[in-house]
Amino acid sequence: MSIELGHFALILAFAIAAISAVGGFVFWRSGQRIALVLSQGAVLQFILVAVAFAALIQAFVTSDFSLLLAASHSHSLKPLIFKISGVWGNHEGSMVLWISILVAFGAMVATFGRRLPSDLLALVLATQSLLTAAFAGFTIFTSNPFARLIPAPIEGNDLNPVLQDIGLAIHPPLLYAGYVGFSICFSFAVAALVSGRIDQAWARWVRPWAMLSWTFLTLGIAMGSYWAYYELGWGGWWFWDPVENASFMPWLAGTALLHSALVMEKRNALKIWTIFLSIITFSLSLLGTFLVRSGILTSVHTFASDPTRGLVILTLLALVIGGAFALFAFRAAALRQGGLFAPVSREGALILNNLFLATAVGAVLVGTLYPLLLDALTGTTISVGAPFFNLTFGALMAPLLLVLPFGPLLAWKRADIVAAAQRLIGAAALAIFAAILISALGGATISLAPIGLLLGFWVAFGAIAELVDRSKIGRIPLGESWRRLTGLPRSAWSTAIAHFGIGITVLGIVAVSAWETELVTTLNPGETAELSGYIVAFDSFDSVEGPNYLSDEGHFTVTAPGGETRQMLADRRTYVASGMPTTEAAIQTYGFSQLYLQLGEPLDDTHVVRIWHKPYITLIWLGALLMAFAGFLSLTDRKLRVGAPRRAAKPVPQAAQ
Amino acid sequence: MLFWFIAIAVTAIACAALYYAAGWRMVNAVAPESDDANSHFRLVLAGIDADLAAGKLGEDEATAARGELAREILRLKSEANRVAGSGLAFGRAAMFGGLVLVVGLAFAVYAWLGSPDLPSQPLAGRSEVAAQQLDLESAIARIETQLTANPDDLRGWTVIAPAYVEMGRYADAARAYRRIIELGGPTADLQTSLAEALLLGGGDAAAEEAIGLLRAAADADAGHTMSRLYLASVLTGMERYEEAVPVWTAVLALAQGDEPWIASARQGLAVAESGGVVAPSDQEAEMIGQMVAGLAERLAAEGGSIAEWTQLVRAYLVLGDTDSAQAAYDDAVAAYPQAFDRGDLDTLALGAGLTINGAQP
Repeated sequence: MSIELGHFALILAFAIAAISAVGGFVFWRSGQRIALVLSQGAVLQFILVAVAFAALIQAFVTSDFSLLLAASHSHSLKPLIFKISGVWGNHEGSMVLWISILVAFGAMVATFGRRLPSDLLALVLATQSLLTAAFAGFTIFTSNPFARLIPAPIEGNDLNPVLQDIGLAIHPPLLYAGYVGFSICFSFAVAALVSGRIDQAWARWVRPWAMLSWTFLTLGIAMGSYWAYYELGWGGWWFWDPVENASFMPWLAGTALLHSALVMEKRNALKIWTIFLSIITFSLSLLGTFLVRSGILTSVHTFASDPTRGLVILTLLALVIGGAFALFAFRAAALRQGGLFAPVSREGALILNNLFLATAVGAVLVGTLYPLLLDALTGTTISVGAPFFNLTFGALMAPLLLVLPFGPLLAWKRADIVAAAQRLIGAAALAIFAAILISALGGATISLAPIGLLLGFWVAFGAIAELVDRSKIGRIPLGESWRRLTGLPRSAWSTAIAHFGIGITVLGIVAVSAWETELVTTLNPGETAELSGYIVAFDSFDSVEGPNYLSDEGHFTVTAPGGETRQMLADRRTYVASGMPTTEAAIQTYGFSQLYLQLGEPLDDTHVVRIWHKPYITLIWLGALLMAFAGFLSLTDRKLRVGAPRRAAKPVPQAAQ
Repeated sequence: MLFWFIAIAVTAIACAALYYAAGWRMVNAVAPESDDANSHFRLVLAGIDADLAAGKLGEDEATAARGELAREILRLKSEANRVAGSGLAFGRAAMFGGLVLVVGLAFAVYAWLGSPDLPSQPLAGRSEVAAQQLDLESAIARIETQLTANPDDLRGWTVIAPAYVEMGRYADAARAYRRIIELGGPTADLQTSLAEALLLGGGDAAAEEAIGLLRAAADADAGHTMSRLYLASVLTGMERYEEAVPVWTAVLALAQGDEPWIASARQGLAVAESGGVVAPSDQEAEMIGQMVAGLAERLAAEGGSIAEWTQLVRAYLVLGDTDSAQAAYDDAVAAYPQAFDRGDLDTLALGAGLTINGAQP
């Protein structure tokens, strides 16, 4: 009965969402009462969807194969963690996860938003309910997770082996929290357009949500990248695959949104652009869902592709995005434009940032959609691969990274570029020195490596430069500097850490692109191979039985250049229920570098072994973690700062908090 | 019944929660609409004063900032007056209407899509049912006991014979089919099934008997394809090609045109006709060579996907042209320097003994 109760709970949540949306848009002006009812409705939606989700988990955990979804995607022998994560390792279940997060954010707005103006709150919750109703309706009517199967089969079909990994428990919830979190910004934008009111209070409300979603999205993408890296077995960490691009575009747009919301909050400018970005960011999230779910793309993300579903999602997409942009076209002119500022100013720098990020979104969008459109319209299949993206994206990012360190050093409204440059001289000198040193030591094999290193170091040191400057390290006694440093507002720390994280990621990308080495060879137990000073000995080869798979294991001993030895275990698994093979790579981390070893297909009487040495590759994800940490740090900074007409030339430190 | 009880209770609680959220008992509580905005502006103002006191702002700049703030407040006030109370009133009727719609929609959709009477069937509760349904062995044992008591039970033998085949007990299956033929007389289908059981059981003598049975079946029924297909493939498998050719021809003559086995029958006929070897003719070899050359030219000129490169290398290897295969492999590596792009190609090259990584380590 729990399954049917879950089914009913989901449907009741859908009904409440649908009626809330209608009621909210009709009565939003009528006062506080409607906002209270919608808040309660948002909380109820959350509770009901949570019940539905729990019912699904219960069915998976008890291997109740009278639930079609469990029969198709679970197996009684699967370890418990994969039984639970398997709930969203498929189309229907992942839609329920999506809706759960959507209503969780709605409930958060309802809970924390009691002090919002009631008309704004009513409109935000009405829009949020509309989205919930649309997605819950799509789920219930075209891909119902609660469909039953009678008689229940004895055994389930098991989950795609590639997904039987701890990554499935982490990556989708984080990524969805990011995607769906931007729905709040979208709802706020729609509310502002409908009500025709937009002020600094609006931006103050939107920015934390954008920050929270962006942080989750950053973690989700980084986790997805690392998962692909260790699970798909080819050691690549980014493929410019359309599905990856689908998550990257909202990230780029969300990054732009963060920065433009900052301008709006502090300076009351860029209002319409911020609204536009809020809409476009969530639209790109929806586009990602459409691309992944419609069956247009084939990848590990494609669950049961079904053209009918694709059409329904496309219609939803067109209605939501089209409706929002129509509203924008109608109402944007009615909004009042914000304050003025000189081109060289913090605002100007942030606009430059937005310009580059928006163009980058455009480039990635074109590269992703053009082959699909061409295929759909003319039947010609072309592939727009890594070279296109590396070139266009790299060309767009290089100037952005070049000017990035200047931004935080510029004053609002009118700034002195020369003064900012003077304060960056130290960082520039350090970056040039480090780039030359490392290029010389590493032997630059591609011509762009030194430039990439220079950019990475420049961004990283430039980010620290602001902290150094504001704490006057070296110019005043060290204790005093420390006091100043700890007294800096968290937002200053958050800016510095996030920008430092970008520099770190850039360094990782450049290092691994320039100095990665690889070796593909055949090995038998007892033989050794050498790569970049690491000696890999193939010790033994065994066949063992896992809980729901058979495994061919290769045991290796690696001797690092320093003489340290470590054991590595790489295996190839064949899953019993599906008969599908997977490879599990062996990875050892040395400092920031990794040795990556994969046991390939067996040949007649020998084994294909692929070995990669990936110098400083962990910096890529470490940088992303730093960015996400900076996001959380910024969320804890609740202090309101004042945008004054002109800051005094010599900044005075903030009082300790 | 219990399900509906819970569903109705849940719905009632949800509706009550929504109704009480509206707070009808409070007498027309008017929200302090602009409270939040004012507190925001107070904070901004306090910030300006603090900056002034700390020396971040000059007196003039502070005055300018305050002026900007005042203009913003005035503008918002006028907008707030325009907005407040200008919408439709949200009254009790609307509230009740909404609740009725929620209840109606939820129950209508669930009644359409749900299966309220289906119980959950977790694995733990299902294993006994499963065991009862699946115990083929005990069912067979029961039939066997019956057949020992009554060996002339044609229906019993008919049930048990295919079950024996399913379980891999081919000798028993053959025995059962023989008994069926004894009791009910031979038919083409039964003879074919018996021959199948014999062939699956293996052994030369059994194969000879099976061929005899299949020939008998084919002679008895001029339109029987199954026996002919078996016969032809058995003969081809035993390399008795001259006998196989007419059978293949006969079975192909019986084909309607959409049977799934036609392609393999044609191939079988070709094998039998050529005496077991399917060698490409000179003309075909030339054609293959042209196709490979065309692919190589195109890849060299325009590049291509890794799958096409792999195809080219494989084609050279099949043709025995190792040098060209090596050259093609090297070109592919130049086009796809990242090893993770080249999984199958590297495996193919390693298997064929080509030089990879520039030089063999």
